[in-house]
Amino acid sequence: MAVIEAHDLRRTYKTSTGTIRRRSLEVEAVRGVDFAVEKGELFGLLGPNGAGKTTTIKMLITLLIPTSGTASVLGYDVVKDARAVRKLIGYVFGGERGVYERLSGYDNLRYFAELYGVPGKRIRPRIEELLELVGLKGREKERVEGYSRGMKQRLHVARGLLHDPPVVFLDEPTIGLDPVGARELRATIASLTEAGKTVLLTTHYMFEADALCDRIAVIAKGEIVAQGTPADLKAGVAEGAVVEVEVFGIPDGTVERVRELDGVRAVGVEERDQAQVLVVQTPADVELTHAILGQLDGASVGRVSRREPTLEDAYVALVGESE
Amino acid sequence: MRAAVRLLALGWLFHLKMLSRSAFDGLLGVTWPLFFATIAFFLFRAGGGEQTLLYASLGAAVMGIWSMTSTSAGSALQRERWHGTLELLVAAPANFALILLPLTIAMSTIGAYCLVATLLWGRVLFGIELQVEQPLLFAVSIVAAVVSIGALGFLLAVSFVRYRFAWALGNLFEYPVWLICGFLVPLSLLPGWVRPISWALAPTWGVRAIRESALGGSPLPDVLLCLGLGTAYVLLGVLVLERVLRAARARAVLSLT
Amino acid sequence: MTSLRVFFIGGLTSYRALFYWLTPWVYVPSLLVAPIFQILLFVYIGRSAGVGSDKFYVIGNALQYAAIPCIFAMGFAISGERFQKTLGYILVSPARRLPLFLGRALPVMLNGAFVAAFSLVVGDLLLGIDLPASALAPLALVVLVCAFSCTGLGLITAALGLRVRETAVLANIIFGLLLIFTGANVPLGELPGWMRAISEVIPLTHGIEAARELADGAALRDVAGLLGTEAFVGLGYGVVGYGLLRFMEWQSRLYATLETA
Repeated sequence: MAVIEAHDLRRTYKTSTGTIRRRSLEVEAVRGVDFAVEKGELFGLLGPNGAGKTTTIKMLITLLIPTSGTASVLGYDVVKDARAVRKLIGYVFGGERGVYERLSGYDNLRYFAELYGVPGKRIRPRIEELLELVGLKGREKERVEGYSRGMKQRLHVARGLLHDPPVVFLDEPTIGLDPVGARELRATIASLTEAGKTVLLTTHYMFEADALCDRIAVIAKGEIVAQGTPADLKAGVAEGAVVEVEVFGIPDGTVERVRELDGVRAVGVEERDQAQVLVVQTPADVELTHAILGQLDGASVGRVSRREPTLEDAYVALVGESE
Repeated sequence: MRAAVRLLALGWLFHLKMLSRSAFDGLLGVTWPLFFATIAFFLFRAGGGEQTLLYASLGAAVMGIWSMTSTSAGSALQRERWHGTLELLVAAPANFALILLPLTIAMSTIGAYCLVATLLWGRVLFGIELQVEQPLLFAVSIVAAVVSIGALGFLLAVSFVRYRFAWALGNLFEYPVWLICGFLVPLSLLPGWVRPISWALAPTWGVRAIRESALGGSPLPDVLLCLGLGTAYVLLGVLVLERVLRAARARAVLSLT
Repeated sequence: MTSLRVFFIGGLTSYRALFYWLTPWVYVPSLLVAPIFQILLFVYIGRSAGVGSDKFYVIGNALQYAAIPCIFAMGFAISGERFQKTLGYILVSPARRLPLFLGRALPVMLNGAFVAAFSLVVGDLLLGIDLPASALAPLALVVLVCAFSCTGLGLITAALGLRVRETAVLANIIFGLLLIFTGANVPLGELPGWMRAISEVIPLTHGIEAARELADGAALRDVAGLLGTEAFVGLGYGVVGYGLLRFMEWQSRLYATLETA
């Protein structure tokens, strides 16, 4: 039995617009999501902003009731057995919110320990352990409002682990962190599965998913567009090539014209310093460089290179296809 | 059971800590009822004798407790939303009632500062002497008033879990309770149909208990009625809470700012 | 012509933008129901203390409550911009300042007048205070003038609000002070001399007195002096408020105070 299971999860939001004549709109944030996470796995839910990652995770942690479909954690249904689920999960989200600024770090942890039902005698030692783990030892008596962003995030992680939950949900945990802080946090996340926990992580950073996850589900516009190990996903584009053309000012309409060329799989534009880079994915055996350059007639072109695809390209292709 | 008591106590203590660390909010919370108390003192002095002034002072003192609680009950959850902690609280295995109740009781406890401030204000500016016939019962009455008003605040806050703009409604309950619970207006002056509503509100009995123990009377039945009503509010709140939370999860209003 | 557009359209749009949260669920309880309860509260306190007539408290409180929409809305209209981080954009715009700020003040004032008029009418209906028919039009004028002077006070609050973080606290304290010093509830004769002196120079005092005289049958010309004083007070506060706003703006360019305060 999988530790986390989702079957055809759907979630629709109703919003309204206008002040005098209110019209209600239905937004389908999650449209039939299926996946299963095995024990000890680090599973990634990867997708751009607005793809439905946060909505999905909130359904799994019992904060949102699915419009239809079912989900369970360790066999407990997230709607019917919400309380049982809550005892077994830890929830951490990125950013600075989620802590009581006017209390000290220690008080924050003390309060949540009580909320999560950590047995009385275990509370103090557990807090000490976690402060050690996240590197906040010595600062715990200070008020959180004086903590840096990285420290708040670390406190947040400590809070999520207070009751030693077997399943941990992380919603974009490294967002807003500086590179060093983010790297340390990733190391901590990796150590969780080493300790036998099952982890579900949402992120929009491809390299993060690639580096950390055992398996990834790519989600875009509420649907899962691909699922598999990072190697599997890369294989999807592996028999291909990527042509990068540095252009100083891409003329209007170029991207569309290049996309229409025979054999082109995906086209993207990246900003790098002074220039824009046209990134074109093609099958490996087709030579399209001339055709592409032909579409750039009149523009100022710099370097042209050809390389192997990365997970990022796979991601762009997958996410782009669903548009 | 012991865990529940610990959670209540700890929650109360921490919210008290957080509330007392917010200087500005505290300032307004204490001064706001003083404006109304001042008006009451002027009017009662213009109208009647000494006895009525102490009556007014004690009534005005409890107004502060209600004011703190009602205005915060609506915004309490809004503040949790801003902190980003509301989601965490709902996602925790502990019963949400055990999380919310200490919050509102902490607010009414802060209201006790108002009580002291109002009595001092009356003493210093209007020369109203505080004479207490039964000091022990006076203290007990104050505690009973604080706890039961906190419980009423809990019931209010529960009803507000679902609505984003609940804080506006919370403020709306400030004046009516002042009007009908006998703080400055004896129940006998109110239209007959209002009285049953007044009797169903714990503050009415809390104020009565406080006045009887200060001016002489039998406050004990009032204290018991006050606490009894408070317990009823909590039970009702707990019942409603389960349904309200479920509705909130269905409508996805927990993390919206 | 542009100034006129800035005045009307700019004012109205900003009102809508900042008050997106002002749904009927918020507007009705805060601005239409609460004043009625305030009126009832003081009518009964008056009866309990044996001071003043119902009419006294209805008029006093209906007009005094206009302070809430005028001061809060004005304060929020300016500091709300800071909250949404749009203040900087507005201040670098080339629009002339006077129509800009006045454009925001007009909807606030009209709203305040509406709230006061509404409270008066409902107070009359509930408590039967016998307003002479001839007094209705003059009373409407008094309501407008009171709203005008409260809005002037609101401009000062708004300016102060740019520096102080907790504008709501400030506005609440001002409301409380108006409750006491304007004679809305405590007859001016009961206040000690120094307090009466303050009453003379704040908004609403003269307007409330004028309204009460009108309700007792006086003619408009009898209260013209009071109305004039009220309008003058409002103008004074408005000018000071406007000056403060310009000063704050200038200061912020020197010391970068506005975004962070």
